Amino acid sequence: MDNFQTVLRFFTNQKSTIGYSFLALMTVGGERVFTLVSFQCPCNHDQNFAYGLTFLLGPAVVLLVLGLLFTSRLWRLYTGCCLNPMKLCPRGNCLGHLRVLMSIFCGACVAPVMWLAVALLNGTFYECAVSGLDDNLVVDLFCKNKTLACREELARVPCDRSKLSSDERMELLLMFRAQSQILGWCVIITAVVGGLLGTCYKNCRSKVSFLQLTFWKRYMEKEKERFDTLAVEYATKLADRNLQSFFENKEPAPFPFPNHRAWEEISAYYTFTESEQCYSTLQRYVERKDRDFPENKPVLDIEYGERDALRNN
Amino acid sequence: MEKFKTVLDIATKQNSLGFGAVALVTAVGEQFFSVAMFSCPCNDLHFLYGMVFLLVPALALLLLGFILRRTTWMTLTGVCQRRAALCRRRRLTGVCAALFQVWSTALVAPASWIAVALINGKFYECAMTGTNVTAYNKYLCGEKGSRLQCQQEMYRLPCGTGTSVPQMDRQNVLLTLKAQSQILGLLLVTSIMLSSLLLTCVARCTSPISYLQLRFWRDYVHEESSLMDSYTTKHAEQLAERNVKSFFYKTPPEEILTPSNKDCEKISSLYKFSTKDNYYSTLHRVMEDCQEVDNGMMRLTSVKSNEPVDPSPLVLGLYDGSV
Repeated sequence: MDNFQTVLRFFTNQKSTIGYSFLALMTVGGERVFTLVSFQCPCNHDQNFAYGLTFLLGPAVVLLVLGLLFTSRLWRLYTGCCLNPMKLCPRGNCLGHLRVLMSIFCGACVAPVMWLAVALLNGTFYECAVSGLDDNLVVDLFCKNKTLACREELARVPCDRSKLSSDERMELLLMFRAQSQILGWCVIITAVVGGLLGTCYKNCRSKVSFLQLTFWKRYMEKEKERFDTLAVEYATKLADRNLQSFFENKEPAPFPFPNHRAWEEISAYYTFTESEQCYSTLQRYVERKDRDFPENKPVLDIEYGERDALRNN
Repeated sequence: MEKFKTVLDIATKQNSLGFGAVALVTAVGEQFFSVAMFSCPCNDLHFLYGMVFLLVPALALLLLGFILRRTTWMTLTGVCQRRAALCRRRRLTGVCAALFQVWSTALVAPASWIAVALINGKFYECAMTGTNVTAYNKYLCGEKGSRLQCQQEMYRLPCGTGTSVPQMDRQNVLLTLKAQSQILGLLLVTSIMLSSLLLTCVARCTSPISYLQLRFWRDYVHEESSLMDSYTTKHAEQLAERNVKSFFYKTPPEEILTPSNKDCEKISSLYKFSTKDNYYSTLHRVMEDCQEVDNGMMRLTSVKSNEPVDPSPLVLGLYDGSV
């Protein structure tokens, strides 16, 4: 039982690594299935390039958009910013949100980069795309020192239907595949180096120590989990109270509601400041001295105050 | 039935799991249809046949998406009776916004069908070999020796039999058509994704409430709707028990509290969030307003079974506010 607990703890600590590995496996599997089931190079020089490029870039764009759509951090940052642009500049710091956007975008780029890398390492899409290029420079590059038939038959090389000799065809295919795989490795190495540099930069600029950063990450995870669970419990209790009051025809019991301003404040994105000992906007809000407790209703007072002012005018 | 209900629950929840599940089921369904049921006829019905298989199931899925969503029925029920009220601009905007939201989520299944069908290529191949457009046929058949035969016997090419066009040329034409179909399918998927990202950005950017409150609101609406189902079931059981017992045992029916028609009407209207108050649904607003105003609403007792049932609204008016 102890061993099982240790193993479970190890896997829980490595959650993000496991997540990314799973994503990589899914991308590889998906690419293989896609290639085997759907991809068939048309082998004519009108369509080859468009076809190969669409298969290479289309799924990458789809994966990027899916990554952005289902990131809650992006929506937490930008919800309501058209109606109130000052939300993006808390405490006068307008560049902070661009940094967060960059980090979100880099996170969403992981899946498309994996797709591109796997597709290029495989070579099928690149082969089809490049064999359809009609540019003289390209044709000369691939067909130099070869027979005249090479130029005409280049588009048909990915299929088994070209009139070139088997050796020439193999040579061309190997060249395409080599170029594709070199490009694939370049994509991987660029992404890895970029990720490393970005993480170094972020850690270098951090206002707090590494251990505190680790604690902060853990705290944010736990707070999110507890928030989601408690929000559902609170919603259930509120719905129960309203429905009971409706069906049993009695006055609803008093129930605490965080006001609209409170929700706005806890939804803002959080940055560390040296003067505070807080780990999130939620903690910052609950530790404030002038937050909304039930006996203190500043919103209603303001409403009545305005109404009186209007009446007097 | 319970399992089906759980599945439907997941599918109608607007999150990644729901959309993914719907897209996957549609893709599997499309594969099944194209393998088991589709066979291109080798005559001049090609275009109609291919287009029907491509578009009609998509339309059916769209309509099914409308029918299965609760919001559609909440918006449309009773609209014919309240035509005058509907013509007020605010109310009309609210109804249109609700229907637009239902339409955009109902689009997932038909879009998946069309995308998977185009990426598969069979329906498009069949449809395009029956267009009878000379310029298009010329483009497909190219400049080969057999081009005249190819153009004349275009509709026989998907079947493979009864045609004198050489196999190689036939393969070329079919590959060209399949490539066009797949490019179209991938472009469709990409453009739908980009436009949904754009729409979500616009919707979220112009939201008057913050992200966490929006999520809480969504959770609350979901909880209220499932609790409403269990409360209405329980209440229906109690009322039915009382009525049936009263009928069989010939006893006067017990007093039972039931919400009046007017109150049911009040809690049925669509809810629009306001940042001035803390309400999360029409029911919530009605209950809180009732508490603040403190009038004796809903003091309604059910009509007893031995009194004549008068359908005029005056009876309800009499019971409203009394006791």
